[in-house]
Amino acid sequence: MTTLTDVNAFQGAPQGDNVFARITDNVSRIAEVPRPPRGWYIAFAISSSMLLMFLANVGYLVFTGVGVWGNMLPVAWGFGIINFVFWVGIGHAGTLISAILYLLRQTWRTSINRFAEAMTIFAVICAGLFPALHIGRPWLPYWMFPIPNQMEMWPQFRSPLEWDVFAVGTYATVSLMFWYMGMIPDLATFRDRARTRARRTVYGLLAVGWRGSSRQWHRYEKAYLLLAALATPLVLSVHSVVSFDFAAAQLPGWHTTIFPPYFVAGAVFGGFAMVQTLAVPARQFFGLKRLITIDHLELMNKILLTTGMMVGYSYGIEFFTSWYSGNEYEGFAFVNRALGPYAWGYWTMITCNVVSPQLFWFKKLRRNLWVTFAVGVLVNVGMWFERFVIIVSSLSRDFLPSSWGYFRPTAVDLMTLAGSFGLFFTLFLLFCRYLPMVAMAEVKVAVAAREAH
Amino acid sequence: MPPMTDDRTRPSFWRSLAELEGESEFREREKSEFSREFEEAGDGQPDRRRFLQVMGASLALGGATTACRWEKEEVLPLSSRPEGIVPGEPRFYSTSMELDGIGTGLRVTAVDGRPIKVEGNPLHPESLGAASIYQQASVLELYDPDRSTDIVRRQTGASGANWGDFDNWLRGAIGPFRSRRGHGMAVLAEPSSSPTATRLRRQLLSSMPEIRWVDWAPNNRDHEIAGAVRAFGAPMRQLCLYDEAAVVLALDVDPMNPARPGALAAARALTRGRQPDQTQTMNRIYSVESCFSMMGALADHRLALRSGDIAALAALLDARLSARIGARADLGPPQVEPELDLLRTERCSRFVDSLVTDLLNARGRAVVVTGPRQPPQVHSLVHRLNYLLGNVGRTVWYLAEPDGSAAGPGQVSALTGLVDAMRRGGVEFLCILGGNPVLDAPADLDFGAALQKVPNSLHLASYEDETSQKTTWHLPRAHFLEAWGDTTAWDGTVSLAQPLIEPLYGGRSIIELLSILIDGQAKGGRQLVRETHGQLPDPVFRKALHDGVMAGTAWPRLIPSLRPLGKLNLAEGAASSDTLELVLAVDSNVYDGRFANNGWLVELPDPMTKVTWENVVCIAPNTAARLGIADGGRVHLTANGHSVTVTAVHAPGQAERSVKLALGWGRTAAGRIGGATRLGVPAAGTNAYVLTSARQGLVIPEASLRATGERTLLATTQDLHAIDQYGREATNARLGMIVREATLGQWLSHPDFAKTAVHHAPLLQMWQPPVSYEGHRWGMSIDLGKCIGCNACMVACQAENNVPVVGKEQVARGREMHWLRVDRYYKGTPDQPEAAFQPVPCQQCENAPCEQVCPVGATSHSHEGLNDMAYNRCIGTRYCSNNCPYKVRRFNYFNFHLDLEKPENQVKKMVYNPDVTVRSRGVMEKCTFCVQRIERVKIQAKNVRRPIAEGEIVTACQQTCPTGAIVFGDLSSQQSQVSKLQALDRSYALLEELNTRPRVQYLARIRNPKPEST
Repeated sequence: MTTLTDVNAFQGAPQGDNVFARITDNVSRIAEVPRPPRGWYIAFAISSSMLLMFLANVGYLVFTGVGVWGNMLPVAWGFGIINFVFWVGIGHAGTLISAILYLLRQTWRTSINRFAEAMTIFAVICAGLFPALHIGRPWLPYWMFPIPNQMEMWPQFRSPLEWDVFAVGTYATVSLMFWYMGMIPDLATFRDRARTRARRTVYGLLAVGWRGSSRQWHRYEKAYLLLAALATPLVLSVHSVVSFDFAAAQLPGWHTTIFPPYFVAGAVFGGFAMVQTLAVPARQFFGLKRLITIDHLELMNKILLTTGMMVGYSYGIEFFTSWYSGNEYEGFAFVNRALGPYAWGYWTMITCNVVSPQLFWFKKLRRNLWVTFAVGVLVNVGMWFERFVIIVSSLSRDFLPSSWGYFRPTAVDLMTLAGSFGLFFTLFLLFCRYLPMVAMAEVKVAVAAREAH
Repeated sequence: MPPMTDDRTRPSFWRSLAELEGESEFREREKSEFSREFEEAGDGQPDRRRFLQVMGASLALGGATTACRWEKEEVLPLSSRPEGIVPGEPRFYSTSMELDGIGTGLRVTAVDGRPIKVEGNPLHPESLGAASIYQQASVLELYDPDRSTDIVRRQTGASGANWGDFDNWLRGAIGPFRSRRGHGMAVLAEPSSSPTATRLRRQLLSSMPEIRWVDWAPNNRDHEIAGAVRAFGAPMRQLCLYDEAAVVLALDVDPMNPARPGALAAARALTRGRQPDQTQTMNRIYSVESCFSMMGALADHRLALRSGDIAALAALLDARLSARIGARADLGPPQVEPELDLLRTERCSRFVDSLVTDLLNARGRAVVVTGPRQPPQVHSLVHRLNYLLGNVGRTVWYLAEPDGSAAGPGQVSALTGLVDAMRRGGVEFLCILGGNPVLDAPADLDFGAALQKVPNSLHLASYEDETSQKTTWHLPRAHFLEAWGDTTAWDGTVSLAQPLIEPLYGGRSIIELLSILIDGQAKGGRQLVRETHGQLPDPVFRKALHDGVMAGTAWPRLIPSLRPLGKLNLAEGAASSDTLELVLAVDSNVYDGRFANNGWLVELPDPMTKVTWENVVCIAPNTAARLGIADGGRVHLTANGHSVTVTAVHAPGQAERSVKLALGWGRTAAGRIGGATRLGVPAAGTNAYVLTSARQGLVIPEASLRATGERTLLATTQDLHAIDQYGREATNARLGMIVREATLGQWLSHPDFAKTAVHHAPLLQMWQPPVSYEGHRWGMSIDLGKCIGCNACMVACQAENNVPVVGKEQVARGREMHWLRVDRYYKGTPDQPEAAFQPVPCQQCENAPCEQVCPVGATSHSHEGLNDMAYNRCIGTRYCSNNCPYKVRRFNYFNFHLDLEKPENQVKKMVYNPDVTVRSRGVMEKCTFCVQRIERVKIQAKNVRRPIAEGEIVTACQQTCPTGAIVFGDLSSQQSQVSKLQALDRSYALLEELNTRPRVQYLARIRNPKPEST
């Protein structure tokens, strides 16, 4: 689907009409030009200051205690776990695009899969930090790992949090391998084009001796296919397991069998929204309009519409189930969600997640960059609020009315959340600057396949 | 200067090893191998045989060992340990604490010379084994770093004065007065019924008869005594035998409020009549009150009436009862039925009709009682009602007030006279013994200004408080756990008080100071007490010391003859129908302000409003709506020409057009908790004393309330956020499942109602429980019919388990740490609510939801069925709390013990129970069923290979519960009390439908309202 004729060359691009060379040049130059575009500097300045704020808040938290957040009793999980689930959800799109679409031979993915995967890795990094920070003694999260020790102290394997450790750990590992392996041919290209010794060394090390021989390509393709097959179930498993944190508890509003598919749909939804949020400005800044075309964006918008309706269905069916169960506590949990003290959160979620994607029924809006970007941002907000609603509204009013409470975030909560975006965007901007942002080799394959027709 | 004085000015409870090695020290320690009491007994030589005899008798009598203040050897290493004393082993001592003239016998646990836990003395009539929140929290005050440490002489500005300087000054200063028979000298003392204090007072007054001696306490008994004088011609006190009463009528009084004398015994007696399991009968309690109290919550029928209107109701009752019973010439003419609209409302007439019938049916088996808020005429009428009903001599007795404290015109007028004299310059030397009159004297007297006119004044007080800052001398007072003394209970029983520790800051007790005033000789407290009871032979004195009570000292019960009463002046104290009445009351937690720096009490939720850390205006929701006052809104409250700004709370059950505000808050010189201007610590709460006046009692008929439009966030432990309509509906729908209640009739016809209150699927187990229980299966039964909501269990738990105080901001965030909470639910309509209390400790589920979800296994099941918490394994995911349906787990969001690092707070460490880990930051904690107490008994039993006896293990909450609502024990034994209670038909598990299989079960509450038909 990628059209080559309108690849927008940088100034001083190689002569001739060698499309492969132009792809290579187009992508590589982003990392090779002495100075990135002005926009990059502005973005980096903002995001790195936010990262600094994140680090300051984390330092304060570690030195003072998790009480600097708004967590309380009964709402013992606040922003920490909301942010964790939010970021894990964001991390879904990358692997979904890379692995599932790869297995389904959706070649249009090639132009976005690389940075979607990068997004996954960075989102999982953000996600992984939060459970470690939210615990009371943040220097001890390793106690959740099954490390053999002389005291024979083992984690408690019945705990969904323990399952999380494995699910997220596996997901992070496989995603990283998948991303890195996919990048090796492109890193080799960078190495080969390197003009300085430092670049040659670094990219050389990262390219782990890639020569592009057909044997290497053969092995590469096989391994990539295997990893894709391995990663595919993980897309489904990781958020299913994350949902068990809630579904396996007996709290009304959490204790629901619909959670695994609902969470996976939500994660894909949120992940794609984040890809949109990043792709629209990235293609603008880095001149990739001809690689990431409006057609790609439209396809992703269709996915947003679909998953948005899946999520909407889940919201609805939850109400039905709680009513149909006849369970006093379940019923109240949902009435309270929609009409109680946190109704504002609930209706923010509904507006962002269910209402806003409905714009994509119209082709004109699906292909409008501004609408795409705006809906992407709204869905991200909505998905954050979905976790807020699930966690906070359920916990704040459980079985015994005497223990009901009202959670109020602190400034540290808000700054840490904002700061985690700083971490994410800082990593993302560094990725854009120093690593192949588009999978050159794969695009070339897709082009070759198209040319052959 | 006597050497003792010098020695005692140093806070020397630690002692170096070098000193230990000194020859003389060694000998001294050998000499006092046993307690000082034995050393000084008899011929001065400790007789080992005798010692063992007494020790054996002691163990048999109280399960406790007897002793007195130890010498400094208490914390020496074990190189040569005194026989019978094992470091780390708790030792128990009897003592007693006086609160405004009423002594309560206590049993104090000391570990290595540190008193750490105060419990009730089962032998004492006032305690019966229970201790109220005040007594239990007193041990925290002992180690309060804000307690006064130094003698301060303000005039010279000289600091560093010691007792020797003071004694010298006093000897000189008192000389002129001695020659003038005390003219120009006055003593303002907190009320005391201590025999020693009474003796010394008499001695002082006999040598200097012109001394003006005034007793003062804001929680005084002026009205009560004036009422008795009116009725009997002499001061009398009423002794109610509630356990023999079939019908109890409380008029504007909560006999179970710990601020009332005899509260613990009253609570026990009142609830003893509410156990229908065997007898299938119950007493019936009627309560008429302006402010919702624990008595109102316990009552079967409650009528909310302004305090000022209660006299009319009493008159109506007298008229009706007299008409039905017939004239009694000896009791004089009855009251005329008052013609008042408020008594004609349907609710009121139904209440009165039912009450009259019940009282008539229970003649001779009823109790009518009223309280300090009511004017003397109501007290006298209440006496008449008891005579009329034939209760006197059966359920109601009278005791003659001891001379001294109670006689005279009443404390308010005596204080008014004193202030007048002070203002006129008629007082040259004022000794203030205890109390805090600058804070708590009626505001219109302006005691503080009058005090400035007194050239020489001294204040003996535990804190350098508002009064101490205005006297020329401030003297540190010894805490009652540091001093010798004696007290008298409500029924006259005398108890001795013995020190458990040397005065930490070298304070002196009131009796020690009095002895210097008398003859300039600083006598020791023990000597003074021993002299008072000089007629007792040593063995008897020692036994009294050991037992904590002096047998046979209770006063004789009398039936005085009643004088005919005149017609009640109903206009007195009554507010007109459209004005707002203000009821001031000593606070349920900080009392009259003296406990305002006690973190355990300040952070303890109010029994009804559940507000901590401040006092609030309680206002009926309808009245609030009429005045436009929001729940949690700040208001200006004006009375007697003074105004305070305070937060208003909608309090269901408060009488219409009546508001209540507690005294004792808003301190400016309490300390780091209660507020101290000097330290820059803002006051907790608002000072309501500025609204008081000497002319009026604590009920002010005319006050006004104006909303400021501001709102504040209250630090409440329940209803942390205003509950919306859906929340209220859900709460009401659940209430019947959470607190199961039935009337006596309903229960008799459906004995299993509690078991069937919730319809749920059969509770099946997918597999056999993973834990097999061997030996013991610990369980608990909590009787909701007996719980009066007094919070004593919460303080007991806090003291026993080293539960931290977290501060107002943290409570407002819902981070209070109480392991045991007492939930309060309102039922019915907001203007006629009923209230129920439910203590909720960890339910120790067998299918514990918390255990399943901990990723590191920090909470797990013991084979005795306890949910154990391994603090040092906990990493603080808090998942266990989320999954706990009872929300009993508490999390250390910060290091709540960080303040202990400060040098001035080192002393606070001494209060900790060494058997319980002090938890640090980031770990979860919760009720353990006092596992340390279980293990201690288990070890003791195992050492001598005996089985654990029933009732031998007592949890802290159970120990102190005045009504015995909490019973802990072994469920594996069919004979244990807890097994029997859990087998009762009204036993149910909270949220049993979740299949958590809790080890705690509740006994459904049976209430006994008058059936409609009869």
